[in-house]
Amino acid sequence: MTTTQILNPTAGPTLGGPNGLAAHSHVGGRTVRTSGVASHLHPVASSDVADHPVPTSKSELWKFAPLRRLRGLHADAEFTVGALTATWDAIDGVDVRVVSGAAGRALKGASDYLPTDRVTARLMEYNPDTLLIDVPADSTITEPVVVTIDGADASIAEAAHVLIRLGDHATATVVLKEQGSATVAHLVEILAGDGANLNMATIADWAADTVQLAHHHISVGRDAKVKHSLLTFGGDVVRTAVDVDYRGPGGDLEMLGLYFADAGQYLEHRIFIDHTPPNCRSEVLYKGALQGDHARTAWVGDVLIRAMAEGTDSYEMNRNLLLTDGARADSVPNLEIETGEIIKAAHASATGRYDDDHLFYLQSRGITPEMAKRLVVRGFFHEVLNKVGISSVIDHISDTVERELAISGM
Amino acid sequence: MTAAPELSEARLAQAETIDALSTYQFGWSDSDAAGTTAKRGLDEDVVRGISHLKNEPEWMLERRLKALKLFERQPLPTWGADLSEIDFDNIKYFVRSTEQKVTSWEDLPDDIKYTYDRIGIPEAEKQQMIAGVSAQYESEVVYNSIREDLAQQGVVFLDTDSGLKEYPDLFEEYFGSVIPAGDNKFSALNTAVWSGGSFVYVPKGVHVKIPLQAYFRINTENMGQFERTLIIVDEDAYVHYVEGCTAPVYRSDSLHSAVVEIIVKKGARCRYTTIQNWSTNVYNLVTKRTKAEEGATMEWVDGNIGAKVTMKYPSVWMMGEHAKGSVLSVAFAGKGQHQDTGSKMLHLAPHTSSEIISKSISREGGRSSYRGLVQVNPGAHHSRSTVKCDALLVDTKSRSDTYPYVDIREDDVTMGHEATVSKSSDDQLYYLMSGGLTEEEAMAMIVRGFIEPIAKELPMEYALELNRLIEMQMEGAVG
Repeated sequence: MTTTQILNPTAGPTLGGPNGLAAHSHVGGRTVRTSGVASHLHPVASSDVADHPVPTSKSELWKFAPLRRLRGLHADAEFTVGALTATWDAIDGVDVRVVSGAAGRALKGASDYLPTDRVTARLMEYNPDTLLIDVPADSTITEPVVVTIDGADASIAEAAHVLIRLGDHATATVVLKEQGSATVAHLVEILAGDGANLNMATIADWAADTVQLAHHHISVGRDAKVKHSLLTFGGDVVRTAVDVDYRGPGGDLEMLGLYFADAGQYLEHRIFIDHTPPNCRSEVLYKGALQGDHARTAWVGDVLIRAMAEGTDSYEMNRNLLLTDGARADSVPNLEIETGEIIKAAHASATGRYDDDHLFYLQSRGITPEMAKRLVVRGFFHEVLNKVGISSVIDHISDTVERELAISGM
Repeated sequence: MTAAPELSEARLAQAETIDALSTYQFGWSDSDAAGTTAKRGLDEDVVRGISHLKNEPEWMLERRLKALKLFERQPLPTWGADLSEIDFDNIKYFVRSTEQKVTSWEDLPDDIKYTYDRIGIPEAEKQQMIAGVSAQYESEVVYNSIREDLAQQGVVFLDTDSGLKEYPDLFEEYFGSVIPAGDNKFSALNTAVWSGGSFVYVPKGVHVKIPLQAYFRINTENMGQFERTLIIVDEDAYVHYVEGCTAPVYRSDSLHSAVVEIIVKKGARCRYTTIQNWSTNVYNLVTKRTKAEEGATMEWVDGNIGAKVTMKYPSVWMMGEHAKGSVLSVAFAGKGQHQDTGSKMLHLAPHTSSEIISKSISREGGRSSYRGLVQVNPGAHHSRSTVKCDALLVDTKSRSDTYPYVDIREDDVTMGHEATVSKSSDDQLYYLMSGGLTEEEAMAMIVRGFIEPIAKELPMEYALELNRLIEMQMEGAVG
């Protein structure tokens, strides 16, 4: 059975309504959390919008983003009743539904998330409907849960909240497909219970007029395993921040990213992994290609290994391939480490053009220059795609990459 | 990470080894005759006073006053180290230690001579290892000599004040041309109150075969030292300039804020080596930048061992085709220290290349941060850049950060960045000890090996000093 439901069909409840955020202690209706780490990368987390001034191009976390093209989403654009729809096929054993009103508010911050920027603070205050994907404890769901989020109107500002919740020792695969025209602030909370195993992919393939400011928060349970893939293609401006916390030792996180920016497009990915419990692992691999005038991407990674996080094993890698003139890729892999008792902490970043040796080798085998370039790009992305491990997603992405390459006549 | 019981002691020995590297060896101070009379705080009168005492041309006074306004207007940087404890009103901005400059060692006042004896300047000179010695003591260069053959080649090696008097045209052309006063708050401060530093000019085609060396010392409590160095290496010339800093330990915080400007002309090469070993109450906030023209090469070799806070990012602006920039950096952050160091490489022309190699060791709660920027501007096609950062953490309470920025506005470039943070491995120790080394020897060897890529680029006497520091501590540990 396929279900399509409009998200936010009515205005959100008035502020100050019932609030069931059990995980936080509220003082005067305001919850604040400092990272405890002195660095320009860590704003104070707070539920109060007033604690998050409107970012400017000088704000550390917003300095790459084209603020003028965000239609006020980062500032005070008023969220309105929405045109976004969510569509999914029912799968036995998985509870997928839209939760609104007070019940929906109770789900905001269910992953112990507190906003670190204005847009998500405003989103949580506004309380849009929550698309809940609930997998009960101890269940194993083999078929991927696929939810398509479709935008229909880029002229209004909307907010959306998704909560993916896996109970202890549950196993599931979840795919979020984002498409259509929208101006949307988006919060995706991912809560993996102890010993849970989640493979999750987000395909952001928006129409060319879409502006999206997304925030993913991943809370990894004790001994849980989470694979998080983020595949970004469409849209005018798409900025996704991913924050990761571990709730206990033994958490294992693999993050994969693939993005393709065309002329005039701006795609940004910001990753923050907070290693607090000991013996957790994080491995990040993001690859991007850029083509056309003013194609821009920014990738900012930050791995924080706190003093108590002994036995941490962390690796971050970002690679960018510039296919034509006029494109620009920023890549900033940060590391903040407070203990020497770790297994490994390393990162690497590389940006460049085609490897001339590769092209020469292929051409010496009789392959045309165009085809040789195509093969190099396919090979470049292959490493990421191979690891995603969801066949429908791999097919979709392969097709999209071919479509992108056709744009530059390859 | 689990460790065999006998190796946990080794970890302790390692901490001592690292300790040895940054133990401050020159912690004495002389009687403070000149410093106590100097005025604290900064206003227009202080700036006019400095300029008047130095009998400077009008244009320099105007530059200073303009810079003072910029300094007052600019906020402290919000990133990097914590600078909130600097009390600009409690700093002496100019101290003159002797009224007359002297040209021979014997003419120096006894207490100054004693201080320098302890660092070993005369010996170094006797050994003919030093081409010219310019020793800065309390803001002004008091001792300056240069070998005659260099002078005959037309090489100029003066303190900056004399440089301004003797070469006013060169000075007016280049002063502030690489680092304008308004570049940042501390370059503005330096431009307003600068005093001392070195002025070097190497004529076309001249290769200075031995390093030019200058020793700097701060010796007045709460006294800022604002030296200003200007180095011009003309076409196809070569020079290696060596700056070394040691300072006595004092109670309250002191500020060192230098500006170093270097112009490397077409086909020329310049190497600038610093070993900074300020006592751990000094704020060391330095702006260093080079403009490298076509085919020119600039190499910064930068060691940061002392100081409470260091913020230093030697930069190369590659202005012409095939220009090259490189930075080799080693930092030790011990108890209470924050070494925020790195480099900025700006590719502004095609076929330029840059390389940054950074090594840091953090221990006893110290924090070392690599902070760098590689920027490839439009038109700088076929540029290449590699950045490698290695950090060694030896305990569970120290901190190491890596904040690399890569900003590419041109295609057809090749960029690479790598960083690893590690703990000295028990496997390495075990292997060395199985070969007959004691724990202490093995630890020393691991640490020496870690900094070897930097140490081998140092002039001999500096490398010796570094190694001696390790060995001294090891002797104690073994006994």
